[in-house]
Amino acid sequence: MTAKIKEFPGTPLAESDFEEGNVLFTRWTPRAEYAWDAGVAIGRYLAELKEGRIIGVRCRHCRRTVVPPRTVCEWCFKPMSEWVYLQDTGTVNTFSLCYVTWNMVRIKEPQIPAVIEIDGASPGVGILHLLSEVDPKEVKIGMRVKAVWKPAGEREGAITDIKYFKPL
Amino acid sequence: MALLEKVDKLGKAISWHGNIPVESRYTAGIAGERFFREIKDNARFLGTRCPNCDLTYMPPMMYCERCFTRLEEWVEVASTGTVHTYTVLHVDLDGTPLAEPEIIAFVKLDGSDGGLVHRLGQVSSEEVEIGMRVEAIFKAKGEREGSILDIEYFKPRRL
Repeated sequence: MTAKIKEFPGTPLAESDFEEGNVLFTRWTPRAEYAWDAGVAIGRYLAELKEGRIIGVRCRHCRRTVVPPRTVCEWCFKPMSEWVYLQDTGTVNTFSLCYVTWNMVRIKEPQIPAVIEIDGASPGVGILHLLSEVDPKEVKIGMRVKAVWKPAGEREGAITDIKYFKPL
Repeated sequence: MALLEKVDKLGKAISWHGNIPVESRYTAGIAGERFFREIKDNARFLGTRCPNCDLTYMPPMMYCERCFTRLEEWVEVASTGTVHTYTVLHVDLDGTPLAEPEIIAFVKLDGSDGGLVHRLGQVSSEEVEIGMRVEAIFKAKGEREGSILDIEYFKPRRL
């Protein structure tokens, strides 16, 4: 198709056409506000984080405790049967040294995202968070860590209510 | 039983709030650009004529919607016309009651087969009637910016 058409129909406009008033136009800024419901399980999880606790959920059939909590066990598809409070300590399952921020700015001191197996949850079950107060060279898989919480007044029901995990 | 739990208090439901930044710019197109440009510069209406169908499009179209001919003939259309139909508004877009009711009318413009939807002014809702003769009142030249609001309103033509 493109081989046949040498010149595409239409009226191309450059940014300068708008700036210099070569073209008449109207501006519109729609209000695109949204509220995203965290749902039953994550809603409770975030509410408990605000209280300074990590909560998981247990499947009696699979004898497995998972965190973050969910309403249905992904192994047996049965509803999760009970809420369980977990420790705020855990073990590093895997980690990364990150020298670039999310918006692609180079940094000297690396951020250390890590999956932390939370004590009280089943082996291999954990959450993704950050490690800090640790020499990047010292971080090891299997390292024992503990959550560092924001002060109670500053917590807002978000995963960032835990500032980071530090070595025990 | 997590699945069977219901949020009984609104404060318990945790939600994330955000805002998607969107901004759009809408251009009037080739025919619309010429139409609004003429309003801005000369306070006149331009329409397009289809010679095959003997129709004068108001607002102007680039193509005849009957025979699909490309319309090349631009003609001036009078700023006077007739109230084809109207409605009286007592609330604004948000549903807030208006202090003064507003009259919105479709005005068929003289010398064309179309017309414009606009406000009526200098007339009360009791006086307005279908078939009433009206004329467009433009803003002063310096205030016009190439928009339909360059017409302040249509007012009755009292003879």
